[in-house]
Amino acid sequence: MKAILLLEDGKSFTAEAMGACGERIGQVIFNTAVVGYQEMLTDPANAGKILVLTYPLIGNYGCAPKFNESKKIWPAALVIKEKTRISSNWQARQSFDDYVKENKLFVAYELDTRTLMVHLRQKGELLGIVSTEDFETKRLLSKIEAFRKNQKESFLPQVSVKNPVILRKGRSKKRNIAVLDLGITKSITHQLEAMGFNLEIFPYNTQPKDILRHRPIALVLSGGPEEQAGLDKVADNIRALIGRLPILGISCGHQVLAKALGGTVSKLKIGHRGVNYPIADPASYKGEITTQNHAYTVDAESLEKIRDIKITAHNLNDRSVEEIESKKLKVIGAQYYPCSPGLGETNNIFKRFAKMLK
Amino acid sequence: MPKRKDIKRILMIGSGPIVIGQACEFDYSGSQACKALREEGYYTILVNSNPATIMTDPGMADVTYIEPLNVEMVTKIIAKERPDAILPTLGGQTGLNLAFFLMKEGILKKYGVESIGASVEAISCAEDRLLFKKAMQEIGIDVPKSGIATSVEEGLRIGSNIGFPLILRPAYCLGGSGGATAYNKEELGKFLDKGLDTSPVHQVLVEQSVLGWKEIEFEVMRDCADNVIMITSMENVDPMGVHTGDSIVVAPAQTLTAEEYTNFVNLSKKIIRRIGVSGGGANIQFGQNPNNGQIVIIEVNPRLSRSSALASKATGFPIARVATKLAVGLSLPEVMNQITAKTTSFFEPTVDYCVFKICRFTFEKFPKCERLINTSMKAVGEAMSIGRNFKEALQKGIRSIETGRFGFGADGKDKITDEELLRPGNELMKLIKDKIRIPNDERLFYIRYALKAGLSCEDIYHLSRIDRWFIDNMKELVETEEEIKKFRNKHSEDELKIPVELLLEAKKDGFSDRQLSHLLNSKEEAVRKFRKKNNTKNVYKLVDTCAGEFTAKQPYFYSTYETQEEGRPSKNKKVVILGGGPNRIGQGIEFDYCCCHAAYALREEGIDSIMINCNPETVSTDYDTSDRLYFEPLTLEDILNVIELEKPMGAIVQFGGQTPLNLSVALRNAGVHILGTSAENIDIAEDRKRFKQMLEKLKLLQPESGTAFTFQEAKQVAAKIGYPVLVRPSYVLGGRAMEIVYDESTLEKFIHEAASVSGEHPILIDKFLEDAIEADVDVIGDGDTFVIGGIMEHIEEAGIHSGDSAMVLPPYSLSSDILNKIREATYKMAKELNLLGLMNVQYAVKDDKVYILEVNPRASRTVPFVSKVIGVPLAKLATKVMLGKKLKSLGFTQEIIPKHVAIKESVFPFARFPGVDIILGPEMRSTGEVMGIDTDFARAYIKSQIAAGQNLPKKGNVFISVRDRDKRAVIMIAKKLQDLGFSIYSTSGTAVSLEKSGVSVKILPKIAEGRPNLLDLMKDGKIQLVINTPSGRIPRQDEVKIRSHVVLYNVPYTTTISGAQATVSGIEALIKKDLEVQSLQQYHKKAKGKR
Repeated sequence: MKAILLLEDGKSFTAEAMGACGERIGQVIFNTAVVGYQEMLTDPANAGKILVLTYPLIGNYGCAPKFNESKKIWPAALVIKEKTRISSNWQARQSFDDYVKENKLFVAYELDTRTLMVHLRQKGELLGIVSTEDFETKRLLSKIEAFRKNQKESFLPQVSVKNPVILRKGRSKKRNIAVLDLGITKSITHQLEAMGFNLEIFPYNTQPKDILRHRPIALVLSGGPEEQAGLDKVADNIRALIGRLPILGISCGHQVLAKALGGTVSKLKIGHRGVNYPIADPASYKGEITTQNHAYTVDAESLEKIRDIKITAHNLNDRSVEEIESKKLKVIGAQYYPCSPGLGETNNIFKRFAKMLK
Repeated sequence: MPKRKDIKRILMIGSGPIVIGQACEFDYSGSQACKALREEGYYTILVNSNPATIMTDPGMADVTYIEPLNVEMVTKIIAKERPDAILPTLGGQTGLNLAFFLMKEGILKKYGVESIGASVEAISCAEDRLLFKKAMQEIGIDVPKSGIATSVEEGLRIGSNIGFPLILRPAYCLGGSGGATAYNKEELGKFLDKGLDTSPVHQVLVEQSVLGWKEIEFEVMRDCADNVIMITSMENVDPMGVHTGDSIVVAPAQTLTAEEYTNFVNLSKKIIRRIGVSGGGANIQFGQNPNNGQIVIIEVNPRLSRSSALASKATGFPIARVATKLAVGLSLPEVMNQITAKTTSFFEPTVDYCVFKICRFTFEKFPKCERLINTSMKAVGEAMSIGRNFKEALQKGIRSIETGRFGFGADGKDKITDEELLRPGNELMKLIKDKIRIPNDERLFYIRYALKAGLSCEDIYHLSRIDRWFIDNMKELVETEEEIKKFRNKHSEDELKIPVELLLEAKKDGFSDRQLSHLLNSKEEAVRKFRKKNNTKNVYKLVDTCAGEFTAKQPYFYSTYETQEEGRPSKNKKVVILGGGPNRIGQGIEFDYCCCHAAYALREEGIDSIMINCNPETVSTDYDTSDRLYFEPLTLEDILNVIELEKPMGAIVQFGGQTPLNLSVALRNAGVHILGTSAENIDIAEDRKRFKQMLEKLKLLQPESGTAFTFQEAKQVAAKIGYPVLVRPSYVLGGRAMEIVYDESTLEKFIHEAASVSGEHPILIDKFLEDAIEADVDVIGDGDTFVIGGIMEHIEEAGIHSGDSAMVLPPYSLSSDILNKIREATYKMAKELNLLGLMNVQYAVKDDKVYILEVNPRASRTVPFVSKVIGVPLAKLATKVMLGKKLKSLGFTQEIIPKHVAIKESVFPFARFPGVDIILGPEMRSTGEVMGIDTDFARAYIKSQIAAGQNLPKKGNVFISVRDRDKRAVIMIAKKLQDLGFSIYSTSGTAVSLEKSGVSVKILPKIAEGRPNLLDLMKDGKIQLVINTPSGRIPRQDEVKIRSHVVLYNVPYTTTISGAQATVSGIEALIKKDLEVQSLQQYHKKAKGKR
């Protein structure tokens, strides 16, 4: 089926569509990773976005339930160059086509994603609409405009659990960690569990006292979609917990933590979205390559006046804040995704956080 | 971390001659390293025996030695230059091994030289099989079950414990040489024997076969701050069992899940840390069971490699440059990424395209060898292509290797027709299945046949173990092909009917106009016109390291069919340089050298250079050699596309070898301005008839010749001009199928065989000037002034391909009278052809007469050699001349006759083709060259021999056996050897004439007749030199056996009398006085002082 992608600045692309059809509107974001399409689709941080993958061959290794980062697919649409018709990997349980159809995802393919990427680089992340019904620029643009005006809806209630959920129960109360769910991913919970922590997942709007009542030894603020109404409220809630509980903020959770500490965030022209972002301690030559998926970043200057907070890593490409820490307040924030480095292994940031708990 | 200040002088070792497994990629990495070190202010000392390299250009390193790469010579250089450090990771396995042996023999310690880039411990850990296995097990990484054998018995024991099939890998060996797969005990014994001999440390790894597993590679870098990055993953389309150097490879890996990918990255990091590379890169090869994901580590190369060159070109990340900076103590965040000029090198490249590498084989040169590929590398070159999908990259890749194919079949050159495949018989199906099951150089095309004959993806997967994903992509191509065929013209002149959407789809999948014209029954030109009319045109996209995330400052380009042009051409004056494509026998690094010089010259003249080439190993495809680089196949369609976008003032076709030269007329007809000698004059020189007319006009001699279609005709021609004659089918390149014929019956046989090669084309018959001396001349001209670059005398007599002959500059036996005749003839022809640029002439001298054998109106194989010997960059001057400069203003008006002597010797791949006879002939078979340079002929010759891997003895036993014609000539040689203290062994025939002349000879029995025979003696290391000239066209069995064993046991040998004479005078010089080393800069300085 023929489809169109129209950006808010009037630039349009032709494509084929599969999966669901109709119309989808959202912010157009990219990701430069070569593998991991299923993980990206099920990452709640991408909720409502039109996700463009710059790698042109998608679906090669199929899909399998084990690769899901959450229970469902979140983007409004997926935009790719070429979808493969067969999947080839011993782990695959389903072809990409079947997966997409089953999950009713709007997939625009045969689209010149390279040109689209270059356009986004020049213009910044834009709103866009994909459609299989309407190809009339004017009408589509007015739909984008209407969407922009109406953008009050927050994904937080959708991505977060409704009620507290105990993920892993252990005998020792000393290992209980509270996780505030802003759109958590499986790779985070798995790593925490692998370290022997008991996890209780709380809805995003849980009050501080309700968290403290469960007597956790620490709080983790998960990643999730940025720019959501309600995130400021979450930061206000968290403020009361700083100093009372050790806190680890991840990605969007890191931004919430920074705000709770009194910092500010601002939007990058284009986001950091991929698996090849170098970060390092500003005072050292040693760094690491990280996975990232964000468009907002904590303002370094806003942290200067906050006592005891140190920037422990910045991005080597644009010097933006990647990691903050306060030994005294026992808080760590990481803008990047602290992925597992390999089968059954834990990211360093969790090890550092665990040390803080001792 | 700041760069190291405690080291100032750094020695770099190159990789020597081009051989199978070690090609231009080390010139590429070495040149990058030179530049990187000098950027940081280090004093660089370079040694390499290969004169055809850019790295040995006098301006690249501070001081350059073209000397043999062995411990003795390099020790002398170390003693003279006193470097603080040695960088061994850029010279391939040769450089690494040499550094290792320098360490083992205490040389490094004695002179206080530190190994940087890879410590000696790191090298040992990766290269020593036992240490490696232990290290990997320590960090929990599986290795295939294996054992180290130091004897055949031990190997057999290990083998029977593991079970067949088994892979054998000799330690410290290059490109899997000596490697083999054994399926039974007998084969195991045979291969063990060979492998133990091949390995310089006499170790062979006997290993569990992981045949059919996925082969995955990662290129990894690590700095001294322990930062680790992945440059790219690569997946071998040919699964385990085919050497990665022979495999089709894609980057990035296509069939790994995110989880698997992460796991491989994690393992790679662990491995590079454990091996201990702490300022450089490594290539890591894994095997993965496609059924359960089980991973084993195959090997680690702690150095720059062919794969790292490919990874560099595939991603835009200059691995060699960065590795060099890391070696001197800088960290990744301190080295800028020059492609983006914004990010640092601490960054993992990501791509938005698919890269395809395919190999070039030359089985046709070794007709007795089976066309099979396995764990011992056989490819002589490779091409890389880039597409937005696998299908496009695949088809471009096949076009790029220049085997006359224009894509994945469907180009009118398929061996099996569609009609045959519709109803394939049992025999055909068996052939197809066999060709898919057993890896060979035509496997891809047989997969296409199989798909057409109705085999399923699954069937083909089970036969080949090639991942289903790749096969399904090929199937899509076959389906598109069928779709296109529906619009086939009845008459080739008809208008095209193909719908534009389908046309676009085909182009997106990489179909060439040539394929389309075949499928649609039309002409290539008509398809092109139709495409343009319907606006189906390609655009260029960027290799920018970052998938478009950052603006690229110095990217390069590939074509594809997308919506937006990113190859925005500049308004500057510009010139297109056509490169040489993949290396092959007859067209190699020498031509790349010339193309690079063209780019340098253009830069000096303020003109933008635009390079088109597809060989990922080369310096010419480095991101900063030219102003703009197009990574494209060298076909008319692809070249015209670039030219139509760039609109250059002209194109240079005379530097890339025969490939671009052959396109010159077609390019001119398409309206492209050919710089240099006109296409018309190129045609005169290339066309046999027109050339003959020209020589007649100039009153120059040519061996008598004629053409024939039948044996009857041939017989008459041969009788007229007289035997022996040189016969060959026309329209066959590179001396292929050429033969010297002495009598009628051999002629008949040849004509019979040649008919199948030549088809409707005639057989060419030339008078063969037996025992003539050949000479090569390179000449440069600007239309007014013509200057000879060098006259090179061949050491071997006529009848041996000029690419295989040893050559000496200046000539050593030709009289000044003859040399003047040669000069006169050269200038006459240069003037007649209005030479603008470079030209090469081949002469034969017999009975004081000078005959012209061939004129190549282009830069020849010898240009880099001559340039280095006389100290004048000929290719650079030629470029400037083509742009309108005059030789006078460039300061080159007189032939330089050097005071020193330089010899170019060829290097052969015989060891890779077991059983092949090593005699030289009119068909070129060498892969590379070395240079020996010294103050006299004998010393220069011996250096050239040592550099070519001939370990010439100072004492010991010499075996001599020659044909009757050579028996007189060999007497003096034998006498001399005896005087020098050698013992002479011989066969009874040769012995008679030697003994008559007072040489005492030990007679050895014929091989079949008694023992110990020569083979036994060679095996026991009791023969130090073999002199054996072939007795005729069908050599005696003994001879062939002797000669193939000479290669097996690495005994120095010569198969010509002239070669033997030179060898003996070399040995004499060697005995008299030890060899000395002198830098190229010193030779040039002295030459200038004397002039």
